[in-house]
Amino acid sequence: MGRNVCIIGGGMSLWGVRQATARDLYQEAGKACFDDVPGLSNKDVDGLLVGSAFTERSNFQTHLAPLVAEYLGIKPKNICCRVELLCASGSSGIILAYGLIKSGLADVILVTGGEKLYTPQRWEVFYSELGTGDHDFDGAQGLGLPPPFFSMVAQKHMKEYGTTEEQLSMVSVKNRRNGARNPKAQFQKEITLEDALNAPPIVRPLKLFDCCPVTDGAAAVIIASEERAREYTDKPLVYIKGTGQASVNNASANMPSMTTWEALKIASQEAYRKAGVKPSDIDVAQTHDCFTISEIIEYEDLGFCEKGEGGLFVEEGRSDFGGDVPVNTDGGLLSCGHPFGGTGIRQAIEILRQLRGDAFKQVEGARTGLTHNLSGLTAAHTVLIYGRDV
Amino acid sequence: MKGISILEGKYAMSMDMYPLQDKSFNRIHPFYDNLKEGRFTTTKCKDCGTRSFPPRVLCPECLSEEMEWVDLPMEGTVLCVSEQLAGVPLGFTPPLIMAHVDLDGELSYLGRVQNCQAGELKAGDRVKVVAIPIESIPAEGKKGAIIEMERVFYVFEKI
Ligand SMILES: [Zn+2]
Repeated sequence: MGRNVCIIGGGMSLWGVRQATARDLYQEAGKACFDDVPGLSNKDVDGLLVGSAFTERSNFQTHLAPLVAEYLGIKPKNICCRVELLCASGSSGIILAYGLIKSGLADVILVTGGEKLYTPQRWEVFYSELGTGDHDFDGAQGLGLPPPFFSMVAQKHMKEYGTTEEQLSMVSVKNRRNGARNPKAQFQKEITLEDALNAPPIVRPLKLFDCCPVTDGAAAVIIASEERAREYTDKPLVYIKGTGQASVNNASANMPSMTTWEALKIASQEAYRKAGVKPSDIDVAQTHDCFTISEIIEYEDLGFCEKGEGGLFVEEGRSDFGGDVPVNTDGGLLSCGHPFGGTGIRQAIEILRQLRGDAFKQVEGARTGLTHNLSGLTAAHTVLIYGRDV
Repeated sequence: MKGISILEGKYAMSMDMYPLQDKSFNRIHPFYDNLKEGRFTTTKCKDCGTRSFPPRVLCPECLSEEMEWVDLPMEGTVLCVSEQLAGVPLGFTPPLIMAHVDLDGELSYLGRVQNCQAGELKAGDRVKVVAIPIESIPAEGKKGAIIEMERVFYVFEKI
């Protein structure tokens, strides 16, 4: 069944609206990552994967991986390429690194991901978002910016299951509270339920704090075979245990449901099966809270609660510290922001720290963790499971 | 000044929001030709009968390339509405009204609703598909020729 594969270190740049270029951000992330594994040098890395979605659009830079390799002093010999799955580009890179190392095609891969999205002209990123769904049909009608789509998801979930605006707001209050401890997050300030409920509307019922922002940032992790991991670190080893990535539709005309994410159910079932765990075994999770409603549906379709009970799950504190499964313990997208290719890497770093036992705020005794990304207008879902036990 | 194409009066097609619809660029050009005649159509597989949307040149079910064009209903019922009042993409004016519409059980998709103000459209309302002209792109041809491509797209309107 191949070799055991570990995540042994990670780091990220400061995330936010940055006075920096994309290459500046990859250097900051690379530095933070190498600093996290003092026993490893950039010369030990034999592969590089870079997750980035808008690189040609926002930075006019194709063929990104050799550029990042040059800047980080890496001389890859087994893999050196970019991976793109919009919001899941970084997680896709980790899945590919896992497969390459497990099969013996590489030993030590640096997986980085990031975006420089902010140009002084904010309309540019909104305009480019028209290319993230089916550009020729949905995009040409103005569909592609996430808020209108997720507004409908929220409206339908509220109608079908009785989810409330208060419950949506509770997700942002929790995640902003978690993010206030994260020195790399775009927003490091707590908000109250009142702040969230009284915030200006973006697309009703979604208000300002229900939506993640536009973000510049990068993050990087080191994935290695267990044998090599033991050479480089004395810290507790964290294994990649299972992965799943699924898509059942792209165009809006082919969506099976807006409130039950079939591709998420498929991806998570694959990941649970490969990892040999079930939803109740997950001690900590980083899920794709691009909007508050997303996190609520993710509790359900990841199997943390019954369908339709996602609103209650957050209301009862079951996704907070001390609950069934603390979710988005580093602040999630709602606090950290969302430089598409960076997000899956950021989630992996938080799970690594939680399982290693050195998180900003620790989930006591956590041994099994999960990350999830949705990408596009829920057109694909990506799940990884990590654990202290192989 | 060289290197900044916009200053030379040129238009970057790679930045355009609409597909290149002409038969010299697109094998599903009949979709747009039909739309110009007021028909909303898609492809159906002659071998297995699967109807796809968006239209295509390959059946995703049986991989046949034998396609025929069929008409879709041009009226439907609104299932859900979103109203974007600010931050709409370039090329659209707020409010950007999007609706999830069921074309009488044949197809449902998310589409823009034109000539509609915020608060005007709700679930249960009836809408129709209408064709609208799209500004043509002045494309640069050989020997400095400028090619004007007539284009069209579809949008919902409240009945
Ligand atoms: Zn067929």
